[in-house]
Amino acid sequence: MVFIRRYGTLIGFVAILVFFSVMLPGTFPTARNWLNITQQTSMLMVVAAGMTVVMVMGDFDLSVGSAASLAGIVAALMMVAGQPIWAAVSVSLLVGLLGGAFNGAMVSLVGILPFIATLATMTMFSGLAFVVSGGKTISGRAIPEDFGNFARAGIPLGEWGGVAISLPNLSIIAIVVILAVWVLLEQTTFGRRLYAIGGNMEAAHLSGIAVKRLRLIAFSLTGLAAAAGGLMYASRVASANPVQGSGLMLNAIAAVFLGTTMSRHGEPRILATVVGVIVLGVLDNGLTQMSVDSYIRQVLVGALILVAVGAGSIGQKRR
Amino acid sequence: MAPPIPLLSATSVTKAYAGVPALSGASLVVAPGEIHALMGENGAGKSTLIKILAGVVAPDTADIAIDGTPVSIESTKAAYRLGLRFIHQEFNVVPTLSVAENIFMGRRYPRRAGIFVDWAELNRQAQRALDRLGIDHIDPRQNLGTLGLGDQMLVRISAALLDDAKLYVMDEPTAALTADESQRLFRVLREIRASGSSVLYVSHRLDEVMMLCDKATVLRDGRSIDSGALTNITHDDLVALMIGRKVEEAYPKAVVAPREATVFSATNLVSPGLKPTSFSLREGEVLGIAGLSGSGQSELIRAIFGDARMTAGTMSLGNAPYAPFSPATAWQSGVAYVPRERRAEGLIMRRPIYENITLAHLKRQSSAGTWLTPNREKRFTADLGANMRLKAVGPGQDVIELSGGNQQKVVFAKAVAGDPRLLLLEEPTRGVDVGAKFDIYSIIRERTAKGSGVILVSSDLPELIGLCDRIAIMRDGAITTIVDAAGLREDDLVNLCYGRTTGMVA
Repeated sequence: MVFIRRYGTLIGFVAILVFFSVMLPGTFPTARNWLNITQQTSMLMVVAAGMTVVMVMGDFDLSVGSAASLAGIVAALMMVAGQPIWAAVSVSLLVGLLGGAFNGAMVSLVGILPFIATLATMTMFSGLAFVVSGGKTISGRAIPEDFGNFARAGIPLGEWGGVAISLPNLSIIAIVVILAVWVLLEQTTFGRRLYAIGGNMEAAHLSGIAVKRLRLIAFSLTGLAAAAGGLMYASRVASANPVQGSGLMLNAIAAVFLGTTMSRHGEPRILATVVGVIVLGVLDNGLTQMSVDSYIRQVLVGALILVAVGAGSIGQKRR
Repeated sequence: MAPPIPLLSATSVTKAYAGVPALSGASLVVAPGEIHALMGENGAGKSTLIKILAGVVAPDTADIAIDGTPVSIESTKAAYRLGLRFIHQEFNVVPTLSVAENIFMGRRYPRRAGIFVDWAELNRQAQRALDRLGIDHIDPRQNLGTLGLGDQMLVRISAALLDDAKLYVMDEPTAALTADESQRLFRVLREIRASGSSVLYVSHRLDEVMMLCDKATVLRDGRSIDSGALTNITHDDLVALMIGRKVEEAYPKAVVAPREATVFSATNLVSPGLKPTSFSLREGEVLGIAGLSGSGQSELIRAIFGDARMTAGTMSLGNAPYAPFSPATAWQSGVAYVPRERRAEGLIMRRPIYENITLAHLKRQSSAGTWLTPNREKRFTADLGANMRLKAVGPGQDVIELSGGNQQKVVFAKAVAGDPRLLLLEEPTRGVDVGAKFDIYSIIRERTAKGSGVILVSSDLPELIGLCDRIAIMRDGAITTIVDAAGLREDDLVNLCYGRTTGMVA
């Protein structure tokens, strides 16, 4: 029972891989497709990594999707106004950081439940994105070519089966962010304190942990990651519109929850989140290749999350 | 005359969790009309036995009979139908509902016309239940959350007494009660006995057991070691039965007397719930804080620990002024705290022992205050744990898997790991078994030998007298008097808590 709870998700993941490899032998188990998956999931990877930081404390952030959209719009507008790419990217990241800090202030200083606070800021960020963009998609020649080219480029890895393959830049960013979050959560006193807050906030407070400050910082980091995800998305499609990040929030939370089914006490772990993101990415990739209708895909992905997390909960109660 | 049929007989009870035996053929026989103590150290199998009787845990084998009729208790409902009532250590109450609603939880509310709840009748019946315990200061209509822990426990107890049952099982019912509240409870328990029902009474407080109970069954390592009347047995014999060896002293002797130097002082300290309070503490001294529950003990400790805002007055630590604005600054200044509720306030249950201990000391227990050094932390924890006789698989074991006494040792290890100058303790041995209690007292003695000052809040009066140099009495949010503990008797202390004169000169 414990075994199933701990490794059920991984076993399910392997089963999915075997299934797609059998059904799509020519296209699924290829290096090119896998590199493609890492690129397709890179935005979600970055946002989910940021989500993991707050979920470690038992909080969560519903505003990441809107924050990602807003960040993309801010960067695009600045570039349209003739600002250099580095300035546009910096300001956009700063907007994400400040938005996250605002969430953190509402949750930790004012004391509003994360669900309510970030539901409200989700609406606010989304509204702001519409206001500053005038509700339009910003694209075309106004966006510098270099910005769009970044997402298309990568580091060449040589040839595989006669096709040139390369590691996409977006995948590299995702890997760097994962490493950074891994170091932060698993190797530093900061991460230890976040896990302590998630385990027992009152005991953490009485042990001298600055709970309010840490929650504020953690939400800021989540906002920063959301903005990075939004920028990556904007680069990939070489445009920005006020709703393009909206799918990220639910998927990021789903990925972290899938990950929690693999940890010892059901606590979020960054490497488990990575597996969660890949599960979602592989499902999306394989089902698309099998031409499964996208609405049916949604039903399947939702069912999978229920099965994985449900199996985990049942296992825990029987303990 | 044939021996009377026992009210409850449970024999050959065995239960193993994942292959580890918790009970190996334990037996328990309770006669009608007796108060029967169930004793043993934490981990001896008391909780498992009670859970089996309550229908919460299924035994591997058991012969259970009630009034001589064999029964099997498959669910909590079955236990209820058989006339068994349980009052557990952990409260299952809803703080946002009224006292009356809590008393009637799980029962049918009185109705008007079969549909509408008859609130007046509900409150009347709840009042009657409270009256039975002689409680006149609790209004059935007030929210349970507005009551102190002791009062909440009284409400739970009056709920269990609402309808007549055969056997009341009480697990540490007095843990949160004041001496006076306990006395009221004992009076009711004696009434129950007189009516022919019985009480199975679990408590680590031996004095209470000796005074209240007729018979006792002692469990050790899942077996019933002895069972018999409590008339011809001494306190020490009972302890020896429980822990399987003789103990010489309940409280380790102080090795050194308190020094002259003052380690901490408060002058006209005021905080929410605390009236102007002044006292000072010498190095190596243990100052006890006694009083009825809710007299300001917690408020005083929280103010010293920086968790409540100091609104007036001054404090000093060593020779320097001390004005903590958060627990973090208190820890940094060398003030450590063992909170009242170890699960809720002291421990992160699903994290390893070493993470719990170093949590308050991460700056020093890391590299450059930033990078974790788990191996060093584990070595540090292993040394500290060995010194306190902490029983665990290793420093990486999760705290939730430890017994109550060992969990409390982890809380203590966290407190002393930073070599504190001032140690604040609230109910440090609540729910801790005899053996672990002695170890914890030894830790306190070790700190005082090193010159730390200790402030000890406890509702366990023998503990206060046995450990403290002086005892401060708190009433209505202020210290009313401070007396020397040497030669103090328990009844003197009770009288002081109630503000009655005793003729004693401090």
